[in-house]
Amino acid sequence: MVSVADLLVDGRLPGNYFAHDLYVFGSTELGLLENRRGDRLLAIPDPLLQGIYSGLEKETGQASKLVLYNCGRWWGKNFYARFCEELADYYNQSLASLAMVEFLQSLQQCWKTHGWGQITLDVTYRDHGFIGVAIWHSPFTGVAPSSQTPSGDLERGVLEIFFSQLTGRELHCVQTSCTTTGDDCNRFILGLKPRLQPVDALVADGQSHQSIMQALTQQG
Amino acid sequence: MTLKLDALFDAPGRPYLDTDDLSVLSQYISSIPDRIVVYRILRDQEVEIMQPIADALQQVSSQPEMVVERSVRNGLLALRYVAMAMLLDDPTYLAGRLQDWMAEIAQAYDTQSLDQQLLQLLQQQLAKVLTPAQCRLLQPGLATAQALMQAGQTVVPSR
Repeated sequence: MVSVADLLVDGRLPGNYFAHDLYVFGSTELGLLENRRGDRLLAIPDPLLQGIYSGLEKETGQASKLVLYNCGRWWGKNFYARFCEELADYYNQSLASLAMVEFLQSLQQCWKTHGWGQITLDVTYRDHGFIGVAIWHSPFTGVAPSSQTPSGDLERGVLEIFFSQLTGRELHCVQTSCTTTGDDCNRFILGLKPRLQPVDALVADGQSHQSIMQALTQQG
Repeated sequence: MTLKLDALFDAPGRPYLDTDDLSVLSQYISSIPDRIVVYRILRDQEVEIMQPIADALQQVSSQPEMVVERSVRNGLLALRYVAMAMLLDDPTYLAGRLQDWMAEIAQAYDTQSLDQQLLQLLQQQLAKVLTPAQCRLLQPGLATAQALMQAGQTVVPSR
């Protein structure tokens, strides 16, 4: 039988930790924005992001995608550590014993509350060894110059590291749709590098996310 | 602070509150003792209120105990939020706590229909513990919770 008293042993029932009205605070007299743990948050204006894209393009040209990707990996490594620490503290249990549902739900809420858009996971292709991620309303590709090829390199780096650390495997991330190429959102596929090998050519060929996924799952 | 009071106090440079504003204020303030009584009952009798619901749910449902337990957990959390929303007289408080969260968690654990049954049972149980007037204070919050826990968000958000 379900015992309600047992469910309430310590009186706590974890809820939506990253709910925006509970998560973002400010020591406004010091000019600081903070999260509910007191870690510093920062609001980045759109023109600054635009400036970063255009500055990188001007100074490094082709290499700017690689720079953004590496910045994303750096960010992702630290984001993963901080995210896990916050959840482990809040749920008062080790991350390993936290259910995947709560973990992923928290990731979605966290993403949203920080203003990075809406992130959704697609586990349809899990049995083939791929995880799909879609990001809607991305502020990053939202200001990136329009382009023939996907330009969510920052997010690609973040996702690659985040899910590599989460799964304990060295995952590779490729982008298959992008708002800068006129798609409705940014879609990414995560998987082992050799299995994702064909994707770059398919993306360059202008194939849709759906047909790329079809090609990948049929490769056996 | 509650939404209604926020709206009263939060407009910088506004003139004195008018008669309607003041009557909103005094209505809320005069209802606070009743609200505290209800809040206290819900807080102190949390287990007593929810245990019969958990038992009934397990009897009517063919779901495994894990799923029922998950649903009871959702019910406890929802009732805590409903209690706070009632105390603040602010049903929008629930949206901040439940929206985008509870419905998706319920979907992932497949407790949605069980949660709705639980909320029905909760209404009946509260009618036993509270007077009709006290139940009326909780009604807006319960209705909001029911709607928010039902609305399964689709995977692809609308633009």
